[in-house]
Amino acid sequence: MRVKIIHWVVILSFLYIAFNILNIEVLQGKKFKDLSIQNCIRLIPQEGSRGRILDRQGNIIVDNSLSYNVLVSALGNNAVDKALLGASRILGTDFKALKDTFRKRYVASFMPATIAKNIDIKKAIALEELKPDLDNIIIQPYPLRNYPYGKLACHVIGYLNEIDLWRLTKLADYGYKTRDIVGFGGVEEKYDYLLRQETGGLSVAVDHRGRFANVVGFKPPQNGKDIQLTIDLKIQKIVEDKLKGWNGSVVLMNPYTGEVIAMANCPSFDPVLFVKKSDSSLSGIFNDPDATFVNRAISAAYAPGSVFKLVTAAAALETGKINSSTTINCSGGLRIGNRQFACWDTHNQQDLTSAIADSCDVFFYRAGIMVGAQTIYDYAVKFGFAHTTGIDLPYEVPGFVPSPLLRKIYTFKNWFEGDTANFSIGQGDLLVTPLQVARMIGVFANKGTLVTPYLIKSIGDSDFTNLKRKNVKLSLKDATINYIRQGMREVVSDPKGTANILSGLPIAVAGKTGTAQVSRGQPHGWFSGFFPYQSPKFVICVFLERGGSGHQASSVAKQIIEDMIQQGLVN
Amino acid sequence: MRHTNLTILIIAVLLVIIGILSIYSATYQKEGEFWQLIYKRQILWSIFGLMLFLFFSNFNYRRLWEMTYFLYALALFLLLLVFVLGIVRLGAQRWLKFVWFSIQPSEIAKLVMVIFLARYFSTKSMGDLSLQVNRLKLWRAFIVPFLFVAVPMGLIIEQPDLGSGAMLLLIFITMLYLAGVRLRYISLFLSAIAVCMPILWHFLRAYQRDRLMVFLNPNIDPLGAGYTVIQSKIAVGSGGFLGKGWLLGTQSQLRFLPESHTDFIFATFAEEWGFLGICVLLFLYYLLFRQGLYIAERASDNFAKLLAYGISLMLGLQVVVNIAMNIGIAPVVGLPLPLMSYGGSSMFLTFISLGILCNINKRRTVF
Repeated sequence: MRVKIIHWVVILSFLYIAFNILNIEVLQGKKFKDLSIQNCIRLIPQEGSRGRILDRQGNIIVDNSLSYNVLVSALGNNAVDKALLGASRILGTDFKALKDTFRKRYVASFMPATIAKNIDIKKAIALEELKPDLDNIIIQPYPLRNYPYGKLACHVIGYLNEIDLWRLTKLADYGYKTRDIVGFGGVEEKYDYLLRQETGGLSVAVDHRGRFANVVGFKPPQNGKDIQLTIDLKIQKIVEDKLKGWNGSVVLMNPYTGEVIAMANCPSFDPVLFVKKSDSSLSGIFNDPDATFVNRAISAAYAPGSVFKLVTAAAALETGKINSSTTINCSGGLRIGNRQFACWDTHNQQDLTSAIADSCDVFFYRAGIMVGAQTIYDYAVKFGFAHTTGIDLPYEVPGFVPSPLLRKIYTFKNWFEGDTANFSIGQGDLLVTPLQVARMIGVFANKGTLVTPYLIKSIGDSDFTNLKRKNVKLSLKDATINYIRQGMREVVSDPKGTANILSGLPIAVAGKTGTAQVSRGQPHGWFSGFFPYQSPKFVICVFLERGGSGHQASSVAKQIIEDMIQQGLVN
Repeated sequence: MRHTNLTILIIAVLLVIIGILSIYSATYQKEGEFWQLIYKRQILWSIFGLMLFLFFSNFNYRRLWEMTYFLYALALFLLLLVFVLGIVRLGAQRWLKFVWFSIQPSEIAKLVMVIFLARYFSTKSMGDLSLQVNRLKLWRAFIVPFLFVAVPMGLIIEQPDLGSGAMLLLIFITMLYLAGVRLRYISLFLSAIAVCMPILWHFLRAYQRDRLMVFLNPNIDPLGAGYTVIQSKIAVGSGGFLGKGWLLGTQSQLRFLPESHTDFIFATFAEEWGFLGICVLLFLYYLLFRQGLYIAERASDNFAKLLAYGISLMLGLQVVVNIAMNIGIAPVVGLPLPLMSYGGSSMFLTFISLGILCNINKRRTVF
């Protein structure tokens, strides 16, 4: 009897054990399996390199250079000290300082700690030669952004920095993490997701003390995709060179396709500063009142001045308010209501072409009043103002085009004829970006199509040249376009033309100057045109912020075109 | 009859082979000659063990009856010797070093106590041939044998080896029960233990208290005393249904699991062979235990009967307690898994016990 009971007790204990094992091994098996993996699997990340940025010919604008980091793995205290001592001799750093860094960066014994970053290749080689004696020194190549041309096209490209909170909240869903390096501004920001490298690495098994045991898996790091821009490096260089000393922006664009050939802004910044991370020079840039980081070509809007007269002219011609034989007498001013609106000169009898060539204000006051503000507004919108151009860069602003209706809606104020007069010569509330102006000029260059400017020629293996873009054929009469083109040509060719300075060039240039009054300080200077006149290849827009006059802008444009011709870049 | 003995031998050899495979897996990656030799040593121990098995299966167990007091004295002597000459390993003084190997006297003491108790309770009264036990009063039935057990038990616990000490107590209680001592004495004893618990608590070493506390909640000290329990549970649990495969268990190979070749050999095995392997293993142990009971039931005299019961129970209880501690349902006390854990003493004593069982089975027909 007692034997039976004991027998059953033992059987029951065996079954109890079996059920317990069933519980932890099969029912909770997943949990314990995860725990055992957590126990022994560690990841050692290895960086891929970010995609390069090339110009239209494939020249490198931004790539990555290898920098070398020195790591020391912890294999016993003595070995660490020996390694640090050797490293301090070669790096020229104090041993104690190195030891401090090591202690600070030390995470776990399986994970080597970085003791020095960005050492040059000579030191890296010297350290590599120490290796036979000190096998716990690791030299790890680490890709860093390299800018062979320094500041060149910095606004188009943008810069790299550690992700900020705003971007992180926006991008967290795409797998971005704190301390990620992301693009700020320009192509680097817009196409960050494609340029971005994918970190790979080794997964290693470690033992109970966290010491390396063996390699379990390897995921090769993925390099980011290369991006080829439509920017022409040589032209960009010329443009930046000529713009130096001014505050402003230059855009060169292919009038038929919308390819942006050059886009330069001044003042510019050196993206290398963010690689080297010297705080003092950075805070200087951020606090600069000249808005160093602003891509003026797209991210800032200004009064266009007389450049806008072309829109007024197109509106007047299209609506039939004036035609090629209309003449208006300029007596140096026009009285509208009880205010005198001055012209900058006395032009006497003017027809449209000469009014464009001379940039006569009175002609356009009258033409504008004949057309009406709302119609000019419609044409301005038609020519792409008040809307972003859709270029593939971030932070583009739409600018602003006023109209009686908008004024009524937003400010409850009335629109007067004087406002129409100001509007028709590009003053008043009107705000446009240099790229919008270039695009508007493009309509006359390509005879009637409003193109969408773009910067990206290809990303990785996919070519974007023939991508279907929204190019709008404006329903303008051929006569209108030809007539205005003729006027633009006379701006240069006519001895009295406002951009006559460009007439000395071996290539026929057509364009329009603008001098936009601003409330304080010097007026903005504009010149926008296309060349060669007969079969345009380039649209150019030069904008000088507080540059004095359109004449200054014309002279910058002249220098640019001159150099381009000299270097054989026009034909 | 022969059949039973053969079964015991086959099961024992199977378990030993499983044990050696697990020991190899737990140690082959560790550096140093010591670790590389361990499985070979275990093979050596098991060969000696088999020889001891053959010897004792032909050694008349009645001689043990005669030798009982001598054996008891010898066990006491060895236990005392441990205090004088014993070597300290893992914080406990449990081993006696001989020329080229060390033995654990507490293992010997366990078997000797079984023999002693079997003899004590099988004593017949002068008058008739029935057992005295049923009529024994408290003094003879309980207190005298308890004193005899308490001395070696106290010595073992003092080493300190709580596991073997507790094992001795368990063997004592079950032997009392099987010998037919009145239930009221046994329940009296159990309640006495329960009452004494809080007092005994103070006599425990700090680490023993930690272990008991940790048993109640392993997470109070995950890197200290609770570490072993947690890692061993992870090892067993991560095995899943089919296991990770031989030589592929990460817990033991990467040394997360301490004592993976001795007390925690079961966790090593479980990680690599999974639930399926464990079922087979438990079944083998149960069969072994079952054969012991079978022999006991058919034994011809009371000494043999009690001896066989005692040996079977000693093995069965050790298996249960060791596995229970491996899966975290019993406190961690140093107790090997018979036939599988690395260690000569345990291996020899287990084989000797099995040899005695087989001898009892053989002698049955002599009378």
